[in-house]
Amino acid sequence: MLKSLENYPLNGFYDEALATPDHPRPAAAELFKRLEDTPFDSFQEMQKGAETAIAQLGISFTVYSDKGNIDRLWPFDVFPRTIEAGEWQKISSGLKQRLRALNRFIEDVYNEQAIFKAGIMPLQIIASSKDYRPECQGMQLKHNAWAAICGSDLVRDAAGKIYVLEDNLRVPSGVSYMLENRAVMKQVMPEVFRDLNILPVNQYPLQLLSMLRSLCTSDCADPEVVVLTPGIYNSAYYEHAYLAHEMGVELVEGSDLLVLSDNYVYMRNIDGLKRVDVIYRRIDDAFMDPEVFRADSTLGVPGLMRAWRAGKVAIANAPGCGVADDKVVYAYVPEMIRFYLGEEPLIENVPTYLCDRQEERDYVLEHLAELVVKPANESGGYGLLIGPRATAAELADFRQRILNNPRNYIAQPTLNLSTVPTLCEANLEPRHVDLRPFILQGEKSFVTAGGLTRVALQKGSLVVNSSQGGGSKDTWIVVTEESI
Amino acid sequence: MLSRVAERVYWLARYVERVENTARLAKVHTQLMLDLPKSVQMSWFGLVQITGNEDQFSQHYGQVRSEQNCMHFLLADRSNSASLISSLWWARENIRTTRDILPREAWSHINELYLLVKAQQSDFAERKTRNALLSQIIQACQAFSGMLSGTMSNNDTYRFLKLGMLIERADMTTRLIDEGGLFVAQQQFNNEDEAHFSSVLWAHLLRSISAYFMYRLAYQTEISGEDVLTFLTQDRHFARSISFCLDEILRLSPALPNSLALQKAVQQLGWQIAQQQGKIGSSELHLHLDWIQRELCAINGLLYQLWFAPKQVA
Repeated sequence: MLKSLENYPLNGFYDEALATPDHPRPAAAELFKRLEDTPFDSFQEMQKGAETAIAQLGISFTVYSDKGNIDRLWPFDVFPRTIEAGEWQKISSGLKQRLRALNRFIEDVYNEQAIFKAGIMPLQIIASSKDYRPECQGMQLKHNAWAAICGSDLVRDAAGKIYVLEDNLRVPSGVSYMLENRAVMKQVMPEVFRDLNILPVNQYPLQLLSMLRSLCTSDCADPEVVVLTPGIYNSAYYEHAYLAHEMGVELVEGSDLLVLSDNYVYMRNIDGLKRVDVIYRRIDDAFMDPEVFRADSTLGVPGLMRAWRAGKVAIANAPGCGVADDKVVYAYVPEMIRFYLGEEPLIENVPTYLCDRQEERDYVLEHLAELVVKPANESGGYGLLIGPRATAAELADFRQRILNNPRNYIAQPTLNLSTVPTLCEANLEPRHVDLRPFILQGEKSFVTAGGLTRVALQKGSLVVNSSQGGGSKDTWIVVTEESI
Repeated sequence: MLSRVAERVYWLARYVERVENTARLAKVHTQLMLDLPKSVQMSWFGLVQITGNEDQFSQHYGQVRSEQNCMHFLLADRSNSASLISSLWWARENIRTTRDILPREAWSHINELYLLVKAQQSDFAERKTRNALLSQIIQACQAFSGMLSGTMSNNDTYRFLKLGMLIERADMTTRLIDEGGLFVAQQQFNNEDEAHFSSVLWAHLLRSISAYFMYRLAYQTEISGEDVLTFLTQDRHFARSISFCLDEILRLSPALPNSLALQKAVQQLGWQIAQQQGKIGSSELHLHLDWIQRELCAINGLLYQLWFAPKQVA
């Protein structure tokens, strides 16, 4: 056992490292053996080392404002989160299955709409979705790759069961931090890496590149792939540059691209114009093409939708795929898996109440103080109500909001998220975590080994978003003797 | 290569070169103050004049041209766009937006330097700590250039980096000579002993761009202003002479697309510089240097026409 974990309180949550106060879980056993006698202040030293490395590498996420930019260093906790490789194998099959179904669904939405005709989902969900794009009707994509890159958030409840909390299909971010976290951990705990069998994460950029290349609409041997960024003022700019660099492709801004009358996309190079075949875009639909969407957008490329519809360029993720990134649609994913794939879901959804349904709404309104209520279309943990922590006024406010616009709200039971030992002021203490793996779907499917573990650094808090005081941890998929 | 990216790496190299040159300037100036006799008037303000920012200086500090004010303005003042820390900030912003095409170390190198200077900028106030920090900055800039030339392919990115470095370097050399020339012209040396200090001054100038040793190898006689001037403008072998910088630009530009106009312009400037020379201490020299600066500026403009913002048929 770890000396530094004496008096570690388990509090009835599922702890990712400890099975009982005296026993580590199998995935953490080797780690505990290596760090057995490590005193708390050595952990603090490692933490300091990690923070220095992060400052030097300039791993930051940026909050830009009129008053100039605030470069915040990436918050990182040095104690890793471990998952057993055998379990991960099952999770990753489940994630691939899910994304396959979601992509079939998106193509269906813009074509036959079979799932609605079969009466499995009400068509009204699409009619009222703010991310449904009529401009995408009739489009059929190579490999069905609408959401070619997906970041799904996983949580584990008190019984140790894994659920999907949401699927981020628009422009999911965070993967560069997963890669950087690993680089930092290798610096601060090199011996542990040598001794443990931890699956590597660094093949992601190459997998991403080969997936993007597989999307090329013509059969050219060497497609030109670019990453389209809104520019340095975007908080994820660091990641855009990181991925472009790792893939060895150009990082372009909207003004670098233009669409000519032949409907091809070109980039402005020092030796003239060069054709672009695949665009990994990191800007929202609304800003992508001022000819079609927001006319005031200076970030986009006029004519881009025209080029895409003409099949002259592939865009990942495809325009309009946000239609499946909606918490009401989420509730139907298990049904989609059965409908499109004829399979049973390998990972379950968190039980979800749709406020649009009379019965479920009544239940939600009756049990508001016990539930988490989320708007259907927000991300980043904004605009949600955590029932057990809400004031009477907040509860009343949400009751009214739900009644005014039931389609826009869903509710879920408050989850007892699992915990991981985390460096706090004087001790290693349990803090709640979630996990965002990244899933790719092109010619082949791919899931990262682990993903980005986000941790709520505040005691008792369940909010893990980095924009709201969350931190991150390296995630180790550990091959134990059992899994071999 | 993207036009926008070419422009940013070009400026990245210019800013790094500027950081290094500014650090050298401040360091050598501080040392010179210790060597010159009390009777020789030597002001800190000369440093501000070199960078052509007198107006901005007086807006901030009025007429108080003290060592502390001049050093702060030149090194640590973020509101002075030509200060060392501003140049470093701009270098960092440019590298941040081009890190995808540069070696990974390039970013961490400049970022670390920026964090260091930002954390220790109070060191600029005191001579003792200032020199140590300046030496560290110079070393870091040299290591940066060395790292790039040692790890990068000889590709367009590298050529634009070199273009930026060479143009900035040539420009800085004209400003240095100008400072020396002005200073000599303004001095009333009272006797032969003090006249000897003009060679101290030229030696200091040479040192400020690490040219002293190479000058010594080329000229074994006593240091004279005329020789220094010839060396720094026309020498074909010294890495910081204007002619050498132009030769280098000529050497690398044929590999860039559509570079004929640049080759012609640089060649012509090279010929003109080889034929003309101002006289030390005369107003003619100042005009001559001013003209070179304007020509370099025109070459900078040409880069925009050819590569950074060409008119394209859309």
